[in-house]
Amino acid sequence: MSSTSERNGAGAGKNGIPAGKPVSTGQQILDKGAQMLQSFKPINQMSQHACTFALYSQDMSRQIETHHFITRLNQDFLQAAVYDSDDSDARLIGIEYIVSDATFEKLPPDEQKLWHSHAYEIKSGLWIHPRMPEMIVTPELKNLAKTYGKFWCTWQTDRGDKLPLGPPSLMMSPQAEGEGVVNHELVTKRDEKYKMSKEDLVKSRIEIPEPEWINPMADYWRQHKKCFGVDVESTKMKIETDYSIYS
Amino acid sequence: MASTYPTNGANTQKNGVPPGKPMSLGTQMLDKGAQMLQSLKPIKQMSQHVCTFAIYAQDMSRQIETHHFVTRINQDFLQCAVYDSDDSSGRLIGVEYIVSDRIFNTLPSHEQKLWHSHAYEIQSGLLVQPRVPEAVAKPELENLANTYGKFWCTWQTDRGDKLPIGAPSLMMSPQEDLRCMVKPELVKKRDDKYNISTAAIKGSRSDIMGPGKLNEMADYWRGHNKCLAVEVERTEMKKLTVFP
Repeated sequence: MSSTSERNGAGAGKNGIPAGKPVSTGQQILDKGAQMLQSFKPINQMSQHACTFALYSQDMSRQIETHHFITRLNQDFLQAAVYDSDDSDARLIGIEYIVSDATFEKLPPDEQKLWHSHAYEIKSGLWIHPRMPEMIVTPELKNLAKTYGKFWCTWQTDRGDKLPLGPPSLMMSPQAEGEGVVNHELVTKRDEKYKMSKEDLVKSRIEIPEPEWINPMADYWRQHKKCFGVDVESTKMKIETDYSIYS
Repeated sequence: MASTYPTNGANTQKNGVPPGKPMSLGTQMLDKGAQMLQSLKPIKQMSQHVCTFAIYAQDMSRQIETHHFVTRINQDFLQCAVYDSDDSSGRLIGVEYIVSDRIFNTLPSHEQKLWHSHAYEIQSGLLVQPRVPEAVAKPELENLANTYGKFWCTWQTDRGDKLPIGAPSLMMSPQEDLRCMVKPELVKKRDDKYNISTAAIKGSRSDIMGPGKLNEMADYWRGHNKCLAVEVERTEMKKLTVFP
């Protein structure tokens, strides 16, 4: 089965929204009623919106603007629901996990290969917290500059998919050179929307320390010139499991 | 590279929380500040909490309780951030997309293989909307009974992973099939928490109809007696992409 080369025009809709009837009034009333009765505790923990860029591991010329809605579980771990915009009709396109360098160093090398570093995208002003004054976010940025992320994209909206097709894609982070450089137009478009300038941020973020060392297993493509593709294979039916192998 | 290799025992913590120090005061203050100043529009669109069960496509004996926080994009499409609990410490374990049968039938068959039907899990009472009276939930349940879902699990907390390790897993839905009965102790644990009875709920849903005929490419394991496993492979980097 081909993993990421399909494109499907099924269900074409306006503004990228998948084909379908608009939500009926009756449905809207039900949704509001249920919303009032239910508890959304995990969602209420989403405390930050960050906007940055990501690149497809299997084709780094494909680059997207991303909107992370982030929950911090503890000082060393964050989890983010990733959207393609910050509008109310934004599409949920994936998940990113973020860990401190201390946590990352404890992962096996085979696992580390799937992760990317964050220092460059923060120092370069690509990663921003829209509407937050830089002064307030600087402590968090100092923290994030030393972290590593793992990002699975589950909906390839950049290639025009109106519906989420195919397996997930592993995403990489922007870097200073080669395939990691983010297309200038993408950045300009984002900067204009938020009335800011990445170049100004580069200057103001000079004080954010570079990590002393970035683990060479992260950003795997840089040193190894290889990337990761995801595929789904048919396998023999398994209906029994021995959990003791995981303990 | 193995898709579901086991974790070592490193970084074990109580209560399954990922390893790490508690949040500093500075971090807490930033979080509160951000919540006040930032607009979190996509998150505010989440309108439903659904609790149900899912099964790993590569190993049907591994089953989990899931908490979906659902946004309805339009009458035919929903998107869900999926958690392992509804507590404030809930771990984000995956994403599920849900489409109406009308939309599902337009997908190519190799795509349909990755999806699962919802009729059985609704009719059986396995899927519930916590704290919403059945009478209020019913129209939405009737709607959902005619949908298909695609669920990628990115954190295998059921096998004890303290961190999200490995490739994503494709997930399947419960069906009326001896090969994948949801373990009674899992259901009981969920029912006790919400003070409900799945069996009683099943009784009250006897008039909920699914699609007239389930698409035979969905719930792939049933008709084809095969599991579906996700593999991550090292490949050559692509230098150029051309959009038609």
